[in-house]
Amino acid sequence: MKPTKKDRLGMALFMTPALVLFVLFFIIPVGYVLVVSLFKWNGMTAATFVGMKNYVTIWKDPVFRRSVINNVLWALVASCVQVPLSVLMALILNRKPRGWKFFRTVYFFPQVISGVALAMLWSAMYNSEYGLINGILRAIGRGDLAINWLGTLNTALPALLIYWVFYIGYYMVIVMSDLSGVDKDFYEAAEIDGASKIQQAWFISLPMIKSSVLTCMTLAAVLGLRQFEQVYLLTNGGPANRTSTMVLYLYKQIQNTRYGPANAASVMLICVGVIVILGIRALFKLGRSSRN
Amino acid sequence: MTKRNETAYLNAGDAAKAGLGKVLKWILMLFFAFYTLFPLIWLIISSFKTNTELFGDPFSLPAVWQIGNYINAFKVSGLLKMMGNSVVIGGLSTVLNVLCASMLAYCISRFHFKGREAIFTFFAAGILVPLNALMVPYYVIISQIGLYNTRAGLILLYSAIGIPMSTFIIRGLMDSLSREIEEAAYIDGCGFFGRYFRIILPLSQNGIVTAATFQFLTCWNEFVFANLLTSSQNVRTIQLGIRYFTNQFSTDFVSMYAAIVISIVPSIIGYMIFQKQIVSGLTSGAVKG
Amino acid sequence: MKKILAMILALALAVTAFACAAPAAEPAATEAPAAEAAATEAPTEAVVEEGFHPASEVTLNFPCIWVGTDSKAAVFGEMVAAFNDEYAGRAKVVIEEQTDYQAYRDKIRTMISAGQAPDLFSVDGTFKLADLADSGKLMDFAPYLDGTDWGATYTEGALSDATLDGKIYAIPFESAVFGIYYNSELLANAGYTEFPTTYDDMFAMADALKAQGVIAFPLMTGENAWTSMLWYSQILLAIGGPDVYKNGLDDPAFVQAADVLKKMFDYTSSDAVGAGAAVVNGHFLNFEAAVYTNGPWFLPRFAKEGINDLGSKVKFALPPEYTGGMGTYGGLAGTVQAYLCAGTQTDADKAAAVVEFYKFINQPEWLYQLAESSGAMFFVKLDSNPNDIQIKQDLLAAANSAPYIVKHFNDSMPTAVGNAFPAALDELVLGTVDAQGFVDLLKAAGE
Repeated sequence: MKPTKKDRLGMALFMTPALVLFVLFFIIPVGYVLVVSLFKWNGMTAATFVGMKNYVTIWKDPVFRRSVINNVLWALVASCVQVPLSVLMALILNRKPRGWKFFRTVYFFPQVISGVALAMLWSAMYNSEYGLINGILRAIGRGDLAINWLGTLNTALPALLIYWVFYIGYYMVIVMSDLSGVDKDFYEAAEIDGASKIQQAWFISLPMIKSSVLTCMTLAAVLGLRQFEQVYLLTNGGPANRTSTMVLYLYKQIQNTRYGPANAASVMLICVGVIVILGIRALFKLGRSSRN
Repeated sequence: MTKRNETAYLNAGDAAKAGLGKVLKWILMLFFAFYTLFPLIWLIISSFKTNTELFGDPFSLPAVWQIGNYINAFKVSGLLKMMGNSVVIGGLSTVLNVLCASMLAYCISRFHFKGREAIFTFFAAGILVPLNALMVPYYVIISQIGLYNTRAGLILLYSAIGIPMSTFIIRGLMDSLSREIEEAAYIDGCGFFGRYFRIILPLSQNGIVTAATFQFLTCWNEFVFANLLTSSQNVRTIQLGIRYFTNQFSTDFVSMYAAIVISIVPSIIGYMIFQKQIVSGLTSGAVKG
Repeated sequence: MKKILAMILALALAVTAFACAAPAAEPAATEAPAAEAAATEAPTEAVVEEGFHPASEVTLNFPCIWVGTDSKAAVFGEMVAAFNDEYAGRAKVVIEEQTDYQAYRDKIRTMISAGQAPDLFSVDGTFKLADLADSGKLMDFAPYLDGTDWGATYTEGALSDATLDGKIYAIPFESAVFGIYYNSELLANAGYTEFPTTYDDMFAMADALKAQGVIAFPLMTGENAWTSMLWYSQILLAIGGPDVYKNGLDDPAFVQAADVLKKMFDYTSSDAVGAGAAVVNGHFLNFEAAVYTNGPWFLPRFAKEGINDLGSKVKFALPPEYTGGMGTYGGLAGTVQAYLCAGTQTDADKAAAVVEFYKFINQPEWLYQLAESSGAMFFVKLDSNPNDIQIKQDLLAAANSAPYIVKHFNDSMPTAVGNAFPAALDELVLGTVDAQGFVDLLKAAGE
């Protein structure tokens, strides 16, 4: 609705705390990032102004370009596979099958366990000498397929994506909390009309949770673009930088004491992110207006 | 074929389909349960092994169950104190964060004003800011306002860095609330604050709890800034306690796992209570539409 | 609902306000552990200048990695406690525990960049002396070390290596040399009682080990590719001699050494690409791999963590000679494992306290204990310790008689080149580049 004069006062009051924190911890630091991205600086000695050179340098770096592509893949897989899987499981659990509370809690466990432990488990799973996956392959007589999953050029990235995509708890919780607000009467009415469970889910539930699905897809895309921890812990970008991501790239530039390129990479990451967020919102709006 | 037969056939088909659906459903549910429980079980079993065993055969049971790993974990100076700090820092920053984010989301979601999408996009872009690049500015800001080596410094920082994400989640769920109730309340003379506290906040409880859950977990798992912005064990958090078993040359993984197991117990309990709260506090009725 | 929320809000604000105020009342940081245990065992003949009389007690903060589960933690804690005891009322060192080494590096780097270097800290070779010097944020110790009694306690060349334009911004503290260690039982099974002295013979042995189903060399390309980097350093010295780093990466030795290293990967574990230190150590400690290399700090772990009584079966060997190479047999790769640094001080008392502390912890009596308890080596000259395990004694003897000890590859190269080593090695091992391409990748990283 349109804010009245009184509302405007309230809005100013309500938005101030968030804005203050945002300015202090985002606008100012990002300003710093922007400035440093224009300098050659090792963090210790005096900085020299180099203009856009850092941007050119990283753009020419094949590792950075590969990182961008990898991040886009992470974002795509997360929002197009992980989120739909989450929605599917949310829809199933929403009908309260036996033990649904147990399942809902269990699905969320991986988010609670520290990322370090999760990474250690999967590097052991994929290990070629003693890994469980190769153990299973050997047990079923396909030892010929047993390889060093995270150390082979064309399996490393898929291996990372595949194990990650099934950890759906994060998005499932968001969708479920939205689903739980859907009026039960709708389902009862549909039941009487003879709609199957699948039809109910498709025609009643899904349209109701459109906004949380949008939230999840955007979050998934954004977190995919920001992917760092699991890659850092499992492959550190290897083999041969094939699994590198933008944040990992910039972190390594910091390790190299090249603050200029590191911050240029940050700026580019933020730009890519804004484009993706706006893109997804536009897509959903397009979908909405075409249906109306 | 008579009509009746046809119906019977269809019903049988439907029943078969429904049966198949049920089987599929359970296969999916059990698969995901196994997939998500496996890391926890592995972690617990591994926390009873020796390091040499862990890297000799990571999927075997321990030859001797090493209770000593847990004794090591509890010996870490102030592990419980660190857990307490994490609860305080995580809890307070979550409250502060969700409060700020929900107030902002309320304004953005419920009112049409110039620049609201611009503000939202700005905040959403904040989710993309790679925090690893902000070590120097955050260090300077926190030291300048005199909060280096204080819990308050971490509370403030964590509240702030979670705001884009929380605003995003809460706004997403607020957007799906019906306009009618709010307008009715408006006509009844309910003011700006009344509508927020009496209508929007209770109705978007789910979104707020979801955002709070993520915010709390982010705080609980955050390590880089917890290490960067503190120097005294008195104000440090559990993640530093877990890394106690790491040093320049090696990591005592099994003792670290024991510390992780200890540290996730409260978060799992907390999560279960939280989830129960959502279910019981559910506002049924015409929330949507 | 409104009331509850209002209460939560009020509570939150109140507690936040409290939390803001509270830490001021708390002790600033934990004191060094084991304060009580220390005083009794402290070497009493400590050389302490009596001239240190500050106007008021000086506090020095020290983000320190020798804490927690570090093998030097116990004795180092005693040292700090003893210092605080002896200087009670005059100076106090406050330890900030730093256990995660990568995070520690990040923190030190951040603090220096923010212009607030800690009072006391240590760095390794990933920090370049020239950068530290140029930062203008570090104390110069040359006046206290040049031609002084303190300076005389150091091994030859240690201080001159750390001197840049007549200034010493980083005091060499912990040193290391890298020997070769082999599992004598696995070698015996393959028909070898001695470790080969040339690379050709070593590869012949590796064939024999491979035939037995044994991993000859546990290597890695994950993390910083540590053990592979050490082997590369040894091979470089064997091929190019002690001056191999003088001409930078243009020396053909870098290409030849890459070929040798690549060949070693034919005899490694299938998980070597992407493996981290824990995986490599696991192979050796679990009796799966035969030949290992690392610094002296690792030696106690053979007995402590190895299976099948590994500790008694591990033997020391010199790195092999390269036929036709410029290296001398017995030459070793080494490193400065830790330098001690200090932020510049405007307060003269504080600067004096920093010097007092570093003098105190560099006393040979203390370092002797530190070496005994942890296996570490130091730049201050120490008597040999009859209690050392045999392999450590062998290593020290080899270091003492070495014709040269040259810093390892990562230390001798710009930070970015060292950081690019693992990925370049991946390319080499996976066959996407040849040895020349490998060196080209390293060169590109340095530009």
